[in-house]
Amino acid sequence: MRHPFFAVLLTTAMLTAAEPRKIFDYPYQQHDFANGLRLFTVPTDYPNIVALYIVVNVGSRNEVEAGKSGFAHFFEHVMFRGTKKNPPQKWEATMKAAGAATNAFTSDDLTGYHATFSKQGLASILELEADRFQNLDYSESLFRTEALAVNGEYNKNSANPTSKLSEKLRETAFDAHTYKHTTMGFLADIKAMPDQYAYSRQFFDRFYRPEYTTILVVGDVNPDEVKALVQKHWGGWQRGQHVAAIPAEPRQTGERKANVEWPVPTPPWLAVAYKVPAYSDETKDTAALDLISALAFGSTSPAYQRLVIQEQKVDVLGGGAAQRVDPSLFTVFSRVKAEKDVDSIRESIVSTLNGFKDTPVETKKLDAVKKNLRYQFALSMDNSQAIASELAGAVALRRSPETLNKLYAMYEQITPEDLRNVARKYFIENGRTVVTLSGPKAK
Amino acid sequence: MMKLVLTLLFMTAISPGMDFVAMPGQSPLIQFRIVFRAGSANDPKGKAGAAAMTASIITGGGTKTMTYQQVLDAAYPMAARLRDQVDKEMIVFSGSTHVDNLDGFYSLVRDAILTPGWREDDLKRVRDDVKNALRLSLRENNDEELGKEVLYSLLYKGHPYEHPSLGSLAALEALSMADLQAFYKEHLTQANLTIGITGNYPKGFVERMRTDFSVLPKGKPSVLKLPPLAPLKATQVTIVQKKTRAVAYSFGFPIDVTRDHPDFPALLLANTWFGPHRNSGGNLYQRMREIRGLNYGDYSYIEYFPNGMFQFEPDPNLFRRSQIFQVWIRPVEPPTAHFALRLALFELERLIDKGLTESDFETTRDFMALNVNLLMKTKSAELGYAIDSKAYGIPEYTSYLQGALKKLKYEDVQKAIRKHLRKDRLQIVAISDNAEELKKLLLSDAPSPMKYNSPKPGDIVEEDKLVSTKLLGWKAEQIAVVPVEEIFK
Repeated sequence: MRHPFFAVLLTTAMLTAAEPRKIFDYPYQQHDFANGLRLFTVPTDYPNIVALYIVVNVGSRNEVEAGKSGFAHFFEHVMFRGTKKNPPQKWEATMKAAGAATNAFTSDDLTGYHATFSKQGLASILELEADRFQNLDYSESLFRTEALAVNGEYNKNSANPTSKLSEKLRETAFDAHTYKHTTMGFLADIKAMPDQYAYSRQFFDRFYRPEYTTILVVGDVNPDEVKALVQKHWGGWQRGQHVAAIPAEPRQTGERKANVEWPVPTPPWLAVAYKVPAYSDETKDTAALDLISALAFGSTSPAYQRLVIQEQKVDVLGGGAAQRVDPSLFTVFSRVKAEKDVDSIRESIVSTLNGFKDTPVETKKLDAVKKNLRYQFALSMDNSQAIASELAGAVALRRSPETLNKLYAMYEQITPEDLRNVARKYFIENGRTVVTLSGPKAK
Repeated sequence: MMKLVLTLLFMTAISPGMDFVAMPGQSPLIQFRIVFRAGSANDPKGKAGAAAMTASIITGGGTKTMTYQQVLDAAYPMAARLRDQVDKEMIVFSGSTHVDNLDGFYSLVRDAILTPGWREDDLKRVRDDVKNALRLSLRENNDEELGKEVLYSLLYKGHPYEHPSLGSLAALEALSMADLQAFYKEHLTQANLTIGITGNYPKGFVERMRTDFSVLPKGKPSVLKLPPLAPLKATQVTIVQKKTRAVAYSFGFPIDVTRDHPDFPALLLANTWFGPHRNSGGNLYQRMREIRGLNYGDYSYIEYFPNGMFQFEPDPNLFRRSQIFQVWIRPVEPPTAHFALRLALFELERLIDKGLTESDFETTRDFMALNVNLLMKTKSAELGYAIDSKAYGIPEYTSYLQGALKKLKYEDVQKAIRKHLRKDRLQIVAISDNAEELKKLLLSDAPSPMKYNSPKPGDIVEEDKLVSTKLLGWKAEQIAVVPVEEIFK
């Protein structure tokens, strides 16, 4: 019986040493292939299981052409429509033979494909996946059918008001940048997807290339064996040339407001957002904003204590900065129990953030948040798939797990003065967008 | 005399008391699952939600010595939190902590469960939270989960399983602190308690917990005698009228098979071929979504699986002594709603008439034998499954299933399908913005031809002719329309 002893030794050390060790302390192997493909292999001591994540650095951020919102996500679906050698049924059969659970996901900055399976399946699955990433081939008819499934996905999400709230928030806050639309895309663009067959071939040709792709293999594996398999099946993949020209977002010059009328009764929702810079593990902004979100609206914050526990005016309160490749939003979401309180809750959120500009945070409170973040991370790494999933997020931002170590080291360096500086810089009226959502007005 | 001693010994052995599932290991992450064998089935008459509110005030309220805010402040630096899950026959308190913080976190867990604070301001907030979970998260904002829970309520009419585990809105409004305390006293007892723990906890820790939890009343097992379910005389369709874009369906019927039933592995295999959860290899998914693009996915179940839209693996500790077979059709565009229902019923009939092929049987069996390992990929899940296995009286789940699959024959699966599944006397639930029109369509039995956005292969065109003209033969009294406001009142 093997034990996850690396995790034990290293995670424990990390949390008790006077000088904090690296937050992600699994020994891993990185290999950059000649064609631009990158491989990370992370042996863990969780027995028998392997988690394979294939991350493509393309997401809704890359959807720069008009009428193409939602395409990266749609393309994630199309990737399951097979190749000449491995039509979908054969793909399913190979995955089944390894007992695999498979899926995929898309966000602003990445598309990820994952399979978790018994280790015997590693060679056949790496070969199978190499085939679809290089030789995807589907008929227009299958393509058109898949577009309907995406419409079905929009439909199943649509009963939840927060989907609409996020859609409206992005639409209002951004003018030029592609973060203006959600990863699902605008409904009109989703409806037009069946007619985009030729474009889909172009999309594959542009982005499904080794220089955009990182393979993560985490679990009961031998790095040398994985490297040889990847070389064999993925080594011949041709590099591409395309780089999407993502429009820069112009500076916002005034507060923006919008409201969504929801067709069924609901307590009102409120989103208060500020423009914040792109993710960075080099400057203090990202780390400081993360700490502020916890200090301002976490379960031990004065705002949470007052609004959720004492006055009980809201039952949802929280948020923070989205960690994105390009400048994005710091958003606070709240569900307000009574319509009459919406204005005062909005004011409370704004003044809570403004408070960070003047009043320095107590060191004790700051330390508690730093500790919370480190333990939260440690508690989340409880199986190979969770580890791979965490790394996929890091790969989307910097194509390396090291960005996690840099960010967590940065958290440790942040001082109350840093928080003040960041608050003064970003929590400004000209960068603010407020969106509300409310149910039908009583007749 | 000897006989008396033996009798006494035997009685001690079987007399109910606290039970432990301890899984020591090397991981610095310590996981707890503190499980009481009682649940919403034990809610007193007129007090639906007593179990849910009691569990919620324990995890979302203060203790005798600390306010809720103080509890949050203490737990925060550890990033540890006690959670609850309430189902018909189990209440679970679970949490995990790094071994560095074991003492601090354990004392919060212990005090929350053993000495709740019972404060009125906590009750007020927790009541709002549970009501919103029922009214908003379930009824208003999630058509799919709504369809499933309405299906359960209808199939379990007059049964202790009838109301959702969260309760009903009126009962939640009326529950008093005394009601919660009464529930706590009667059901959170040593007789109902199993404590599960895993990780690198110190020697003697289990004994420490045993001593601490001995302050709970000994109590009596809360296991109810479940009445048999009255079978439906004919298929019933309930259409919930709600403002929404698409039409979501759930349908099913009760089955006699639970995890400890001899036919469980066979029926699970049939279901794993027919409609495995969120798995693109399932037959229903292939026929409805992959070939025809009707929706986002289509699945079937032989065990309760809540929150399926948010997760891929089921949560453990949803032990039930009665289960249903259930088909989940994710929302379809309204013009295809009639056809989609016909197709799902057509596939169910085909499953019952033809079953699997021998080769489907073999590939599904081999898949399951490996895939079961993934259910145990976290220590917390492994612990949960171990507790469930005790409740069902079966061996450790992975070896139980793998062993059974080895012995399973093709004919066993075919027999189990015919014995436990059926085509008629179904309860069907639809969520639709145009309930009356859907009712009219279903009653008309008129053809519902499909128009696709691309040509389909000849066999699908032929099959569609059969499906779109499939006669359902339902009468007006079999189809009811219910406004959403009437649900879970």
